[in-house]
Amino acid sequence: MLAYIGKRILQFIPVFIGITLILFFFRAVIPGDPIKLLAGEKAMPDAIYEQIVKANHLDEPLYVQYGYYMNDLLHGDLGTSYQRKTPVIDIFAEKFPYTARLALCAILIEILIGISAGIVSAVKRYSFVDALVTVSTSILISVPVFWLGMLLQMFFGVFLKDATGGAFSLPISGAGGPISSYPTWMHYILPAVALASVSLAYTARVMRSQLLEVLNADYIRTARAKGLSRGAVIVKHALKNAMIPVITFIGIDFGVMMSSAILTETIFNWPGVGYEIFRAIGQRDWPIVMGGVILVVILIMLINLIIDVSYALFDPRIRYGKKAGDE
Amino acid sequence: MDGKMTDREDGGMGGRAAETVKGAPAVRADGAPTDPADAAGTAGTADLLKVENLKMYFDTPDGLVKAVDGVSFTLNLGETLGVVGESGSGKSVTAMSIMGLVPMPPGKIHGGNVLFKGQSLITISEKDFQKIRGNNIAMIFQDPLSSLNPVYRVGKQVGEGLTIHKGYKKKQAFARAIELLDLVGIPNAAERARDYPHQFSGGMRQRAMIAMALACDPEILIADEPTTALDVTIQAQILELMQSLQKRTGSAIIMITHDLGVVADMADRILVMYAGRPVEYGTTDEIFYQPLHPYTWGLMRSIPKRTAGDKEPLTPIKGNPPSLINLPAGCAFSPRCPYAQPRCHEEGPVLVKLAGAHASACHFSDDPAFLENSPLHDDEDADTVAPGAVAGMAAPEGADTRRGHSDG
Repeated sequence: MLAYIGKRILQFIPVFIGITLILFFFRAVIPGDPIKLLAGEKAMPDAIYEQIVKANHLDEPLYVQYGYYMNDLLHGDLGTSYQRKTPVIDIFAEKFPYTARLALCAILIEILIGISAGIVSAVKRYSFVDALVTVSTSILISVPVFWLGMLLQMFFGVFLKDATGGAFSLPISGAGGPISSYPTWMHYILPAVALASVSLAYTARVMRSQLLEVLNADYIRTARAKGLSRGAVIVKHALKNAMIPVITFIGIDFGVMMSSAILTETIFNWPGVGYEIFRAIGQRDWPIVMGGVILVVILIMLINLIIDVSYALFDPRIRYGKKAGDE
Repeated sequence: MDGKMTDREDGGMGGRAAETVKGAPAVRADGAPTDPADAAGTAGTADLLKVENLKMYFDTPDGLVKAVDGVSFTLNLGETLGVVGESGSGKSVTAMSIMGLVPMPPGKIHGGNVLFKGQSLITISEKDFQKIRGNNIAMIFQDPLSSLNPVYRVGKQVGEGLTIHKGYKKKQAFARAIELLDLVGIPNAAERARDYPHQFSGGMRQRAMIAMALACDPEILIADEPTTALDVTIQAQILELMQSLQKRTGSAIIMITHDLGVVADMADRILVMYAGRPVEYGTTDEIFYQPLHPYTWGLMRSIPKRTAGDKEPLTPIKGNPPSLINLPAGCAFSPRCPYAQPRCHEEGPVLVKLAGAHASACHFSDDPAFLENSPLHDDEDADTVAPGAVAGMAAPEGADTRRGHSDG
């Protein structure tokens, strides 16, 4: 097991180098001068411009810049933002908890509603509930997140406020704090629902199809032949098998939510990693973009590793680094 | 705990023996009284399991599939019934119908009854049926790997029935599972009980399935092709194991197989099925020494002969079993029957008792001349060079049977 984890971590290295190369390539081909953008609408004196360019090694050839960047990176330094003059690592240390908390809320919604909807629609196959789940998941999958987000904002933030005479509404922007008139937890509701929507629909579908497949398995018949009730068969024998692919899906999804919740975070003005990267791209603030992407990549790789390792807990047929059987 | 177990075993045996002696029991093993109406209907018949004209049809988009169409038999403690037929002959559906495991819909009982100790398993509530499944009637399935849950330890699965039916705690059930695994010949059972199914070999998995089925001391053990997925050497071991366990526990066995060879040594009586219908029913001796139905003959001829030296080609039954939606007119076997007559294509034969309980569903089973075609006479012809027999063999089959037909 440890050898397996070690091997997987070694595999991180080529992925990591590849990511930095790709980032540097895009940085070179995307138009826009980050230093000129610093001055905003006013022109920057040439002397100051030269000075900043030199300080950031932007006058060097690209491979030399890459060398500088990698050298810093290996020393744990992600660089400093052009715009804000603060270390990138500090920026993300501040943003990251917001993204993580939002992703966690979304994942909880996904697990609670997605999995239970999937189970109910598989168990009550071809019933009204099943049809309802199928139709609503189809809708959720087809609706773009930004549109759903705006609909939620309109309904819960505007329409409901008007309808109740201002007595009830949900916050549609920001993550709470002293200037917000809502309690902080309420700020999580709409972005978390929007973020969870598509994944929730997929989870329900994966859960339904997996459970239906498992319910046809021979060992389910064996369990019934033992005298277990239908409910006990589903809970004890079917779910554990059916959950394996669902857990993979949710795990990968968690990684995605931690990184590319850009749409959701932008619509809801959520001060998270995705929104920060989105803003930094507009300003060509390369240290933030690159640092952010690298952090996200590391995170996703770690989450995937955790998923793969946790397989072994759910499926005894998978035992990393041990021989499969001793027959 | 040990004391409890031995009590249970002895009690189980004793109770069971008493039940058979008394005849139709008024009280089930778990203490629930049997339905008096059902008991009255079969009063005096003391049969452990009585299947009466069972019809299980499936409503499919293509039409009504008559998977089981009028199967009847009785079974008592200590007896073994062999149910023989090709794939799709309805053997497994018969077993699943008895177990109440046929999904309904699409399955639907179109008639007949299954009586367990006089109680109908057709009208029984699902809740009461759950108390019988695995407890009084247990089942062994064909593919032992896919029939074991891959994510639970073998010991847990073997002992699970005890926690459901006998009120065992998990630990007690696991300990008993180890004993059961030991009983079915799993070496090092205490350790192997902690293995997962994929760590077992094919034969061991089937042994574990048997241990699982035996856990609650069932009166009836239904084995659905228990050896089909196994090597030939392992097959023999498994059959031997089942026989020795039957001697020990006195349970009744329904052995479902496509291989007459499997039931030859084991079964007391044999039911031959074709296209969902019983075509021949009799004691094992009757089936093997006086087979009456051409389909049974075909099955017997397709058993590889163990004659040393000369290699004889196998004689399969030509053609395939018919679609159960569009059964051929007349006798379902007529399109494949080498002795079929015009009458066979028009008029369906019924299962008729000929000698004692020996029954056959063929128009000509009572015709001695027709029975000359039975494979028993193949061997006689080969061994003894009786002129008459040779003449009978050499004569065109058509001519021979035509004579039989005009006589009958």
